[in-house]
Amino acid sequence: MLALAVLLCGSQMAAHAGLAIALNSADGTISLIDTDSYKVTGKINVCKEPHHLMPTPDDKSLIVACAASNQLVFFDPLTGQEQRRVRDISDPYQLGYSPNRKWFVATSLRLDRVDIYDPADFRLVARLPAPRTPSHMAFDDASQFVFVTLQDSNEVMAISLPTQKIAWVMPVAATPAGIVMSPDNRYLLVASMGEGVVEVIEWRARKSVRKIATATAAHNLQPKGDGRHFYVSNRTIDGSISLLDTQTMSVVEKYDVPGGPDDMMVRADGKELWTTARFARKVQVVDLVNKQLKLSIPVGSSPHGVFFLNHAGLR
Amino acid sequence: MIDALTEAFVHLQGWMFDRLVQPPLLALGLGSHLEMAFDGIQFFLAGVLQIGFAYLLLRPLEAWRPVEVWPDRRAVRVNVLYSLLDRLGIVPLAVFALLAPLFAAVDGWLRLHDIIPPQLEDLLPALETRPLLCFLVYLLLLDFAEYWRHRLSHVLRWWWALHAIHHSQRRMTLWTDSRNHLLEDLIGGFWFAGIALLIGVPPGQFIGLLLVVKTVENLAHVNARLSFGRLGERLLVSPRYHRWHHALDLPPGRQYRHGCNFAVLLPVWDQLFGTQYRGQALPPCGLAGDPLPPDAASSGFWRQQWQGLQAFVAALQPRAGTANEAQQAGTHAR
Repeated sequence: MLALAVLLCGSQMAAHAGLAIALNSADGTISLIDTDSYKVTGKINVCKEPHHLMPTPDDKSLIVACAASNQLVFFDPLTGQEQRRVRDISDPYQLGYSPNRKWFVATSLRLDRVDIYDPADFRLVARLPAPRTPSHMAFDDASQFVFVTLQDSNEVMAISLPTQKIAWVMPVAATPAGIVMSPDNRYLLVASMGEGVVEVIEWRARKSVRKIATATAAHNLQPKGDGRHFYVSNRTIDGSISLLDTQTMSVVEKYDVPGGPDDMMVRADGKELWTTARFARKVQVVDLVNKQLKLSIPVGSSPHGVFFLNHAGLR
Repeated sequence: MIDALTEAFVHLQGWMFDRLVQPPLLALGLGSHLEMAFDGIQFFLAGVLQIGFAYLLLRPLEAWRPVEVWPDRRAVRVNVLYSLLDRLGIVPLAVFALLAPLFAAVDGWLRLHDIIPPQLEDLLPALETRPLLCFLVYLLLLDFAEYWRHRLSHVLRWWWALHAIHHSQRRMTLWTDSRNHLLEDLIGGFWFAGIALLIGVPPGQFIGLLLVVKTVENLAHVNARLSFGRLGERLLVSPRYHRWHHALDLPPGRQYRHGCNFAVLLPVWDQLFGTQYRGQALPPCGLAGDPLPPDAASSGFWRQQWQGLQAFVAALQPRAGTANEAQQAGTHAR
């Protein structure tokens, strides 16, 4: 019996390791990639303008935000099969679950709005104007706030989740995009495309404490999974990815990754980082052991997100 | 081969974006427009390719089997300028810059009041995962809308005053299609983009749809004896079919008092709405008299724009004379 359980568990793990899903915004498709052979095994039509993807907290579904179709499409991350569609989600761009799983937040970049839903049934709880161009989001550990970057007004907005009201707005470096909470829950790290820095904000005091230079068009941040480091994608055609140490608040490594690296995902064993090359129609695989680009996988137009279950921690 | 060409295209698009477009947009604090700018470069490069292909394929055809032979092509030059402004995205960019904030404001207001504008896929969910079929349905609907836009531009006096710039040319060539008054470009852009928004066309497909429409319009104006065959002439607007739309003398018949053959892609709309004329001859083209002075056929870009504006303002003035006369005047040249 135990052997059977181990076998079943093992086969599931193998399936976990086997599939990566890349999201192609301009094509409206997802590409299915075998993570062992690095071959594209399929392409599925999804919707109009899918922009970001994220797993549900239990990792049983991968949610694709279909901005122009006003939908969320759920996929099985093991097989790539569509599970269901949730309609009437107005213009979802970036998505996020609060850590306590009580709130599901969607930004509408095009229409200057943040929507808060009940994740149980995706019922709209609050709709807040957020000028201009709300983009990425982060949460505090206690799920008291969601922090949203406002790309065109160069600000970060904090929304109180219990009251669903705007708590405060503060200015930050130009064209803020990616935003994450530091592992100690003390700082917000904001990637500034306009200044090519990661700005460190002591959010309780609403104070900018440091700007860490990475490279032009610093765009997004992804945890390494060790509770200390974050990868920062610098989205230019020459492109690079910086490794940021949150204890020393400094860049400790940098890799050349051409093609406009955007969203990222790190493998659980820490040996590879996958990133969508937005301007090159590719997923780039970076060998983190040899610290260089390992290979490029051609996908669809404007790839904007990549996910696999066998990933490193997301905090 | 196709992979290599695609790779080269993507590389060039990325290079232009990175070196020429992204730095100023970031410097101006317009970072949220980066993705749209990336699509804009695609439109520009597609326009370059389209103009290149049109010149390489259609120009030899015009030289080989011309409908008309002219002693010189001076009057055509201004149309080349119109084509470059249009196909390389300069006019569409200006139209977009004027209209995008308006559309975003209306859409944003609706959403804030819990109204999600309905889309075609709400009626036909099967289209959601069939992008090619969806593209064809969009094309059909937009072509239907273009038929009516075009027809209205011949019926309404003020619109006809602007559209007459397009009809004033007597030397119709592959460059003719883009010769339009800038104000009419704005109105046409509002119409096309508004309907595209209404049926839910995503930006990526919008560029593709525009390219298909423009390519067929290029072909329809070519100065060449080109037949699409018995069936083809019924399915797609051909140079012969569209030449009758530009004819100096319209076919007889009350149904043609504002013109004939308004269809942009599919002649079926003319057939359905009684405006089709299937003449076999290849008539001379141009505009007889009002609302533009005779030299509009060969004047320069800015003079044509001024002449069109003057005609437009005049058309907005109340007309003297009896209602009967006014009605007769309303059945202008087209």
